[in-house]
Amino acid sequence: MTTTTAPFTYANTTWPVLERISVFHQRSWERLAAPGAWWNGAERVTIAAECRRASALVDGLPDPGPGPAELPEAAVFAIHKLIGDLPNVTREWYDETISAPGMSDAHYIELLGVVVHVWSVDEFHRALDIDLELLPDPIPGEPTRIRPSGAKAHGSWPPTVRPEDLDERDADIYQGAEYAANVRAAMSLHPDSVRWLAELFDAHYLSWIEIQSVQEPFRVLTRPQRELVAARVSALNECFY
Amino acid sequence: MLRESSQQGGTLDSLNLHGAVNPEADSGVPYGSLLTAFAEAAVRQTDALPGLRERIASEMGPQELVDAAGVVANFQRMVRIADGCGIPLDDYTKAATDDVRGELGLYEFASAANTV
Repeated sequence: MTTTTAPFTYANTTWPVLERISVFHQRSWERLAAPGAWWNGAERVTIAAECRRASALVDGLPDPGPGPAELPEAAVFAIHKLIGDLPNVTREWYDETISAPGMSDAHYIELLGVVVHVWSVDEFHRALDIDLELLPDPIPGEPTRIRPSGAKAHGSWPPTVRPEDLDERDADIYQGAEYAANVRAAMSLHPDSVRWLAELFDAHYLSWIEIQSVQEPFRVLTRPQRELVAARVSALNECFY
Repeated sequence: MLRESSQQGGTLDSLNLHGAVNPEADSGVPYGSLLTAFAEAAVRQTDALPGLRERIASEMGPQELVDAAGVVANFQRMVRIADGCGIPLDDYTKAATDDVRGELGLYEFASAANTV
């Protein structure tokens, strides 16, 4: 194992982690600590802490301990389900979750955004045997409670926002694209999660622009190698999409 | 998502997707077996992971290892977004991949019920 002396500097690892990955990981922790739309900073950091507890449980590791806030019971259960029991996530379970006390569809989507982004940063570290970064101190403040006005049912369980229905404050989330694939729009009920996704998607894999064209030269795996790893991870998770 | 990216990159013809579902199958991709073994070890956190890490670094290069770790991390995220939101297949994806999904046995995945 290695240790880091400042957030995501990767100064003490022997692996050549690109500066751009370091920058996007630092940015992830800034996003994590800040108040969201439906959860405050302490709750968001607690969601991240619970994500690590769920991961430790799956891997048979010691409990890393809770976060600084209390979460609704359904939120805690959802985090563990998303990390450790993904193939059994169903529409019925989703409906029960968003109807539970302290939850809503928007709470769920923001929670999902925190879980998947923290999880993927941690998975990057685990894959390279780099110590997990300490979770950030929460930034005080209240959630904005702003719900996108253009959110509609488009076939996913939660409502989503298509590019033509974006509010002006969220006009940037698809980076000008006139069409957003379902997976890109999945978390658009919480626009900051779409922004966060774009950053880490680019850091770890390809930018949304590269998806439809050629990859940048700094990406050293070839496109077939990249797609093979992607497909293997999806298959191991029994992900149909 | 795989199909979209591969088609746009013009690389699908050189990729045997059976290599993603069946580790014994030849993917036709250079270092494909090593990369899928690494992906599996990283996802499942097996004891094989340290050795595979070293093999990728020595046989392909340390930057390739970091790149592979990034792709694993990315799709550990993307599958949870897809299955956590029950997103449907995009129309063009469904039309383009129905044959290969059946061939690979993907309709047997529990998450298929949420997506089709």
